[in-house]
Amino acid sequence: MRLTDLLSVAFGEIRANKLRSFFTLLGIIVSVAFLVAVVAVIQGMNAYVKENIAGAVVGTNAFQVRRAPIQVGFFDDEAMKRVERRPRISVADAAAVRLAIPDAQAIALTTGFPTPLSDIVWRNREVGDIRVFGVTPPYQEVQDYRFEAGGPLTETDIAQRRSVVVLGHEVAEKLFEGVSAIGQDVRLGSEHFEVIGVVAPKGKVLGQSFDSFALIPFTRYEMLYGRRRTTTISVKMRDAKEVENAMLRAEEAMRAAHHLRPGQENNFSLETAAALVDFWKQLTAVLFSVIPAVVAIGIVVGGIVIMNIMLMSVSERTREIGIRKAVGSRSRDIERQFLAEAIVLATTGGVLGVLSGWGFAELVAAVSPLPARITGWSVLVAVTLGATVGVLFGVYPARRAARLDPITALRAE
Amino acid sequence: MSPQTDDVALSTTAERKVVVQSAGAQPDKDWVIVTRGLKREYDMGGEIVRALQGVDLAIRKNEYVAIMGPSGSGKSTLMNLIGCLDTPNGGEYWLSGQLVSTMKDDELARVRNKEIGFVFQTFNLLPRATALHNVELPLVYAGVGSAERKERAMEALTKVQLGDRAMHRPNELSGGQRQRVAIARALVNRPAILLADEPTGNLDSTTSEEIMRVFETLANTGQTVIMVTHEPDIAAHARRVVVLRDGKIASDERNQKVTSSLGL
Repeated sequence: MRLTDLLSVAFGEIRANKLRSFFTLLGIIVSVAFLVAVVAVIQGMNAYVKENIAGAVVGTNAFQVRRAPIQVGFFDDEAMKRVERRPRISVADAAAVRLAIPDAQAIALTTGFPTPLSDIVWRNREVGDIRVFGVTPPYQEVQDYRFEAGGPLTETDIAQRRSVVVLGHEVAEKLFEGVSAIGQDVRLGSEHFEVIGVVAPKGKVLGQSFDSFALIPFTRYEMLYGRRRTTTISVKMRDAKEVENAMLRAEEAMRAAHHLRPGQENNFSLETAAALVDFWKQLTAVLFSVIPAVVAIGIVVGGIVIMNIMLMSVSERTREIGIRKAVGSRSRDIERQFLAEAIVLATTGGVLGVLSGWGFAELVAAVSPLPARITGWSVLVAVTLGATVGVLFGVYPARRAARLDPITALRAE
Repeated sequence: MSPQTDDVALSTTAERKVVVQSAGAQPDKDWVIVTRGLKREYDMGGEIVRALQGVDLAIRKNEYVAIMGPSGSGKSTLMNLIGCLDTPNGGEYWLSGQLVSTMKDDELARVRNKEIGFVFQTFNLLPRATALHNVELPLVYAGVGSAERKERAMEALTKVQLGDRAMHRPNELSGGQRQRVAIARALVNRPAILLADEPTGNLDSTTSEEIMRVFETLANTGQTVIMVTHEPDIAAHARRVVVLRDGKIASDERNQKVTSSLGL
């Protein structure tokens, strides 16, 4: 029997039993769709974190000297306590790092997350809960801020603890609605500040705006909010290749500044954007290890359903098998016919699963800030999985069909 | 015009005796079917049922033979063996010069495909397939390509005057038409024998006549026809009648009064 004939019989059977075929395939469709959709969302988020968040938080070609490491989530109590005992990052530390890395493009002191939120008021208008950071001027360079109006904070602003503020694009837009922001007097809480610059938009990541902030001079900030435990030194190098060496020098300088003896553990952390990406990948790796198990269960259940329906189909079509044998089909032809049917069925399920998974991922991407990226390998795995299930769970029913005795089969009702 | 004139197609008792007795020898090509001491036993839960107890049968090319007998006489068993749907426990069966009785399943399937055209009491058409596709089926298993398949199936359908019903499904056809589709399917691969099992059992008498006419025309044009039936009226159309009783041939004689449906 030719392959084209096998396939045409297989497709004919599926078409003749559309609804039944659909329900048969539901398990496979759901499992495969789940696989494709979840992988798409995770991959999309990975790419997004790598391309947007990491750079936005730490800065490109940059690293941070922090009191606490970025991977806060995975700490046990013991480690947490040790971190709690660490000293705060000080202005003196920043000076030491600056001395150790004279070739840095920018070294900044900034207050980190979590940072106080404040309402900003202009005349009778108000925007609520804006993150306020105290920074030294190089921070604006570390972050590659471009200014759409006015200019950055300057060293003079720091030295004189001036009440000036640089606003994120979104804050300025909401507050001034087209009126020029520069020179306007705004209130942060109860304090008056003069707007000297507005930063050009950086965009949204996972629904979090990176354009909703207010930067004030680091010194002014400490007057208002006191010294923070989250103060961070940001170092930006001119080239990515210099980062590693600079981190070593920064580490040395920090150990000296904190009077650590050789062998004593660091009481500060050095982090790069890569660390943030790694942390994120650790999170998603857990998901990636759970997915196969969930999908496997779904696929096995789906396969058993296919086997059941195929067995039912064999007994329903006993007469047909008898007729085919009488006109000259070999047992092998019958086996192949039913196997082809199972494979076509399961692969159809795989393809439908990929399509609905794709659709679902796109839907998630459309209605939520989660991006989605369909990857070639997940589609390939899904379709191969479908075909494999067809073979594995189709063999038994096909064998049973092939073994039927033609005389008995012809007499069947 | 008279069917009695083509007596050349009918073997004589003496000729048959010679062929049947030379055990182990390959019969002459002219003998389509030769069985020598054919035996078939069934084990029905420990009890041995001897369905066939040594059947010697020789049928020459072009013969039109009816196999008769009461139920339990072994005629169904014989028909299954002749049709290569079953294998004997003893004896020889030669079909078109090939020793079929020792063949394995796959070879038997090939023989069924090439040498035998079945016509059943219950038509046995694939219900969801069109008449044309039903007729194509043996050619599918013969590995014939799609275009040639359609052409030959159409030709066979035209031969049974159903050319205009090719795209109809069995449930859109009358009983007689269905049986003619089955006949077209049986003939499409040009088999050595047309093997009919109670071909009129599910048909009224007018339609039965119609089917008998088709068989007679086929026999007149050189097709070997073997028909299993328990109805004497139907058997009367054949030119030779074999009667089975208790798993043995009770009589094997020329039909002296052939009923013709061709209006002669």
